Amino acid sequence: MSHLGTIVKKEIRELLTPGSIISVFIMVMLFAALGGLIGDEVSKSTVMPVVGIANSDSQTIETEDGEWNAYEFLKNFYLKSGDKRITPENIDQFVIKMDKDDILQQMETSGASVALVLSDDFKKNIEDSLKNEGADRTYLKGEVAQYYVYQPSGMIGGTVSSTVTNALVSYMNSDLSKFITGEEESKYIDFLKYPIESSETYTFVNGEAQSDVTPAEISEALTGQTMFIPMIIMIIIMMVGSIVISSMGSEKENKTLETLLTLPISRTVIVTGKIIAAALVGLIFGLAYMFGMAFYISSITIMAVGDSGLDLGTIGLALGLGDYALIAVSMFLSIACALGICMILGAFAKNYKSAQTMTMPLSILAIIPMFITMFSGWYGSNALIQGVLFAIPFSHPMMATEALLNGDLTLVLAGIAYMAVFAVVSIFVTVRLYSSDILVTGLSQNKYIERIRGTGRKPKKSN
Amino acid sequence: MTDALVLTDVRKTYGQREAVHGVSLTVHEGEVFGLIGHNGAGKTTILRMISTILKITSGKIEVYGKDVAKEGDEVRKLISYLPEDAGAYKDLTGRKYLTFIADLFASGQEKDEMVERGIALADLGDKIDFRIDTYSKGMMRRLLIARAIMTSPRLAIMDEVTSGLDVINAYEIREVIREIAKSGVTVVMSSHNMFEVDMLCDRVGMIDQGNLIEVGTPEELKRKYGKETLEEVFVTAVKGA
Repeated sequence: MSHLGTIVKKEIRELLTPGSIISVFIMVMLFAALGGLIGDEVSKSTVMPVVGIANSDSQTIETEDGEWNAYEFLKNFYLKSGDKRITPENIDQFVIKMDKDDILQQMETSGASVALVLSDDFKKNIEDSLKNEGADRTYLKGEVAQYYVYQPSGMIGGTVSSTVTNALVSYMNSDLSKFITGEEESKYIDFLKYPIESSETYTFVNGEAQSDVTPAEISEALTGQTMFIPMIIMIIIMMVGSIVISSMGSEKENKTLETLLTLPISRTVIVTGKIIAAALVGLIFGLAYMFGMAFYISSITIMAVGDSGLDLGTIGLALGLGDYALIAVSMFLSIACALGICMILGAFAKNYKSAQTMTMPLSILAIIPMFITMFSGWYGSNALIQGVLFAIPFSHPMMATEALLNGDLTLVLAGIAYMAVFAVVSIFVTVRLYSSDILVTGLSQNKYIERIRGTGRKPKKSN
Repeated sequence: MTDALVLTDVRKTYGQREAVHGVSLTVHEGEVFGLIGHNGAGKTTILRMISTILKITSGKIEVYGKDVAKEGDEVRKLISYLPEDAGAYKDLTGRKYLTFIADLFASGQEKDEMVERGIALADLGDKIDFRIDTYSKGMMRRLLIARAIMTSPRLAIMDEVTSGLDVINAYEIREVIREIAKSGVTVVMSSHNMFEVDMLCDRVGMIDQGNLIEVGTPEELKRKYGKETLEEVFVTAVKGA
């Protein structure tokens, strides 16, 4: 086996310990479980809640054309809602008649998250208002009170019931209005309220007019597809960085570094071996995290942006094979840059503990572009922020997808060129550091540091 | 007699502080040479410069004619360095550690023989297949000496080789060094332990505040200073330096 292979094998064996594998496995499981929990909550929010209705029989609206009953409306509405759990046989478990004097007890017994109570003058108000034809007309509306039982169900669960209930009341309004006015009159009233309607919508995308799509829908679809990328890149970079710096810290703590430096292998081979091993292990751990994160983030994505159903390919916003190759090159170079930075930082780590704190600058450098690209992106940022984004090498793969979709090849290629130069320079600096005394003596005995501190003494010559 | 190691006016500066002041000495092939001096005298710095870990500020070090500053890679093929309190990769077993080192020096049957030699030198019995983090300090030291010697270096450099070991372990390690020397390996070692140096070393160099103040065989030095022990010689030499 070549020296490089031996070093890589040794590094991988050190990094892939049962302890590290178990901790990554636990993290992946936690992410997946968290995603599952959120997914459950989200799916709960998309089904019809159990609803109670009180006073519906006593407040049935009667006209010459017939009767309108809130309970009957809700039953029909639920049966047509598309919720597959609801059938004519079990509808009574979802829409429950209640007594307004014992709402709490009945809600707790039935598991209803909301109850609608028609006021005692619901029928009277509506019927009187319908008969009121004088010049000085006042219209009293039928009132519906909403009752909830608060349960500490978190952000998602807590917002579900009120949203659905408001929608129910709105549908009740439409249905009762249609009943009162009749089908034809209802259309006329709708016309009076909304005499104008939007016809076709066009959005110019990369110079071409695309019909029936808005910029907001495009943004939503893009966000859904690209919000993973910055997170994943951030995780991989932090993972790889932490591995390299810790490896250096561990070499110093276990006092193995000095031996390693006196073995018949060049410093370039040691540096390259550590970089390759860290990249491989980081990639394995990163992929494992991505697997767990995929469950977690997909739940958040569905919740945050929904499924717009827009096929980006139909509006010319799909990536081609060449685009994916550019993104892969961009990712590879950003990892190389991260490893270069980490090898430099790792050279100054005194032990494993100090190595852990040294990952902080790298984490910040990975988090800043992640947030910027997720929230405003390259094109929504001002010149100063764009400058910061460009200078941080990890930004480029995060921005590449958006740039390629916008046909901005220049930005992607400029980023690749910048990262290539950055990686070469950082690895060159690393090899120089590994050939210097700093690796063994640390910074404290460096002449420049001593000058800054003012602790240096003039060399004392003697025979 | 071939010169294994030649130091010519070697200086080392840390920042703006000179730690080694123009040391010159020669170690002959097959010799056991001891560097003695108190803490911070510059022994470890000299050994690290010979081992290519630290850069030489000025002067020249040659190992079997190879310039340490210019031919570092070649020098590392000839030497074996055992730092003070050195460790090994704790997640490996003793056997796997020796195999990792052997991989960097040889391949095939030669590598296998090297590992077997290392296992025999370490003499850890079935514990050679235990993880290194279960080893005592004495066991660890045996393993590291085996690592340093199994590659058949021409120059073995050992820094405070018995430091922190109990009497039995220290005795056993000294026996191993004696065996190494008999096999023709040149040994340069540092120690605080004058008794150990007196017993093991053919010649001794005394270091004080980065200066080489005396070089000679233990007997020569004792005669020169009229003292019975190397310890007394050292104290007298340092006070008079």
